[in-house]
Amino acid sequence: TNAERNEEKTKKNHPDDMWWPENGEDWSDGEGGTDMDSGLQAMAEEDEEINVHNEETFGMEAPPSPPPPPPATPPPPQPKPRSPRRAPSPPRQKLQYFPWASSRQRGRSRGQRAALGRGQMFEDPAVMRIIEGRPSLKSLDSAIVDCGTTMYQRPFEDDVILLFFFFIQVYPPIVPRSPLFPRQPLTPRQHYNQTRAFMFPPTHPCPSTPQTPKMMQLRFGANSPRPSPFYSPSNPVQPFRYPGPATQLHPQHKRLLSQKQRKPEGWDPYCNLMTAKEKEWITRLQMIQLQSENPYLEDYYYQEYYRRIESKMAEEELGIRSKREPPKLTTPYVKKTDSYTPVVHIEGSLGQVAVSTCYSPRRAISAVHAYQKDTRLQRLDILNKIEKLFMVLLEVEETERMKTPLLSEAEERRLVEKIQRKVEHIYSQLQHHNPLESEGDFIPFLLVSKGKKLVARLLPFLKHDSALKILRVVTTNLPTLMSRDADETLPVLYPPLRNVIGGLAFSQLIGVLKDLTSLESLTTYECLELACQNKFGLSLLYALLSQGEKLLSSGVPLEPSIGDFETWTDIIFQVAGQLSQCSLVEPLLLPSNLLTLFCRYLDKRTVHQLKSNMESVTGCLALPS
Amino acid sequence: HQQLFEKHLVLLRDGRTLIGYLRSIDQFANLVFHQTVERIHVGKKFGDIPRGIFIVRGENVVLLGEIDMDKPCDTVLQQVSIEEILEEQRLQQQAKQETEKVKMQVLKDRGLSIPKADNLDEY
Repeated sequence: TNAERNEEKTKKNHPDDMWWPENGEDWSDGEGGTDMDSGLQAMAEEDEEINVHNEETFGMEAPPSPPPPPPATPPPPQPKPRSPRRAPSPPRQKLQYFPWASSRQRGRSRGQRAALGRGQMFEDPAVMRIIEGRPSLKSLDSAIVDCGTTMYQRPFEDDVILLFFFFIQVYPPIVPRSPLFPRQPLTPRQHYNQTRAFMFPPTHPCPSTPQTPKMMQLRFGANSPRPSPFYSPSNPVQPFRYPGPATQLHPQHKRLLSQKQRKPEGWDPYCNLMTAKEKEWITRLQMIQLQSENPYLEDYYYQEYYRRIESKMAEEELGIRSKREPPKLTTPYVKKTDSYTPVVHIEGSLGQVAVSTCYSPRRAISAVHAYQKDTRLQRLDILNKIEKLFMVLLEVEETERMKTPLLSEAEERRLVEKIQRKVEHIYSQLQHHNPLESEGDFIPFLLVSKGKKLVARLLPFLKHDSALKILRVVTTNLPTLMSRDADETLPVLYPPLRNVIGGLAFSQLIGVLKDLTSLESLTTYECLELACQNKFGLSLLYALLSQGEKLLSSGVPLEPSIGDFETWTDIIFQVAGQLSQCSLVEPLLLPSNLLTLFCRYLDKRTVHQLKSNMESVTGCLALPS
Repeated sequence: HQQLFEKHLVLLRDGRTLIGYLRSIDQFANLVFHQTVERIHVGKKFGDIPRGIFIVRGENVVLLGEIDMDKPCDTVLQQVSIEEILEEQRLQQQAKQETEKVKMQVLKDRGLSIPKADNLDEY
């Protein structure tokens, strides 16, 4: 057949070429990187070659009659054996099977140029030629060129074939026909010839700009490729490159996939219906749509899922026994709804109140007591504020994530400024909620679960002084916070506060401890007792003591204020008393240097008792083994 | 026994579940299923109807996933014969239609009507 003849010719001309280059480098190995502008001349030369070639191959045989075109597809042009490349025949049709090669590739198979733009190509899909080279867009359709040139000028698209399938978009109703179902049956080789043009070099990473569907079609090609069967039935193992370079899978996802790949595959007689190239093509097509500059924002659940898997696996590997129970889903206890009372009497009103039911829907009188309204509105106000501030926090975290070492100095500074501004905004909003309120800074927000989460996530961004302020607010109001923590979300504050504590100087630490122990109307003992009964409180206490021990043993001059050491030792004794007596709750974290601390001040027996008491709760050693 | 290659499960828009070897796919999610089996679930029972080769147009696919043959199968579902499952399904459809009828009547008595899902355009 013609195709076969063509094939041979092609092969003859280029014995060294791999038909389907396995490695990406072959895609772009250049024979003369002529750029677009000089293409025009080269085209003209090649034109002649093609003429000759076609004459030889196809002679003057009449092309088969074109099949009736579907309404959306343009009718194939009239056969013109010698039409020049840039014939005025409808450019749209020509463009449909436009060659696809980077300028560098153009040099490769010159002798094989298909009759680009000639009618022959469209008549018999069974007769396919290798298409290569890229004539200037300008010559064909000025409208198209604009898009093409602008895209071409982008630096990262230098080697990526992008432009031509814009043309497919020129007539929108066309759904690109999949070559899997051609009008006439194609051999795989012919398919390959036809659609080879549509591939683009796999090694070139796709840019990270968000892609519109149009652009994706543009740079991707509409039809799936059908390369020559490298993987014949005798070669069962599909060396599927997984994933392709254009994919942006989460590293954990990649790892999981590669693990799966390693599984030995048995022989399946049908396993090569879809070649690896095709699979990769589809995968890439799908993945391109997922590319974005901001995956954590735009594909949050996917990213979060794999991040969690990753951290879980890391934990397992390190052998860290997770002391924290997996977060339980707490459904709030919903009070049983009152049964329907047909007659409602509200104090102060005259007569009965109209109650709406499904039989008689009528607006119910909204009788709200004055003081109730106030507190409800206040709470709503706080909730509203939390939501708004959370949005700002998300922006801050996002900006933080965008800070990579690749940024320029100015860029980085700009981002840092942005972060600072927003952080300060959130901080000031949290601090001064209502000047009339007597509850104090931050407290209204800390009483709401989401507010606690907000503060916990904000703390890493705050300067030490601001963070210290929050810590002191927490310790000063610890009983209130502990008692009004129905959802038990206080522990979420523990990790960031622990970090803050880790940066405290000795006198600052003493100040915080004083806050903890000198609450109004409570003795130190009582304060500590309260703290020890609560998971968060106890953990906080431990963290503070641990920090004290760290400072003492570090040898750094402590610069204590007057009375600091007394307070310190006093608290130690009190705490020791507490810990040895009452039953302890399990802390979030048991610092390893607590016993060392106690050893400084207490006798061996007491220390031993403390040790057993503390350990019995947690089940792990209070001293590093 | 361990399977050597993965089966896929696809849920179609009309509610059918197909299981088979996914041989080909394209950018529109058109699928070629080999040795397909249509699995009908009614309550805790299910039945498989062998269907051969299935070609599914992409727009009808709701979701598609690989079946992990390695995972231990500790299902409470009970496989029954085709005739039985079809009968079960018929009964299920019948019961559903009955309740639907009653519901519509009750609503009609109250002057309300809820449009049926198939009248609404999916979007």
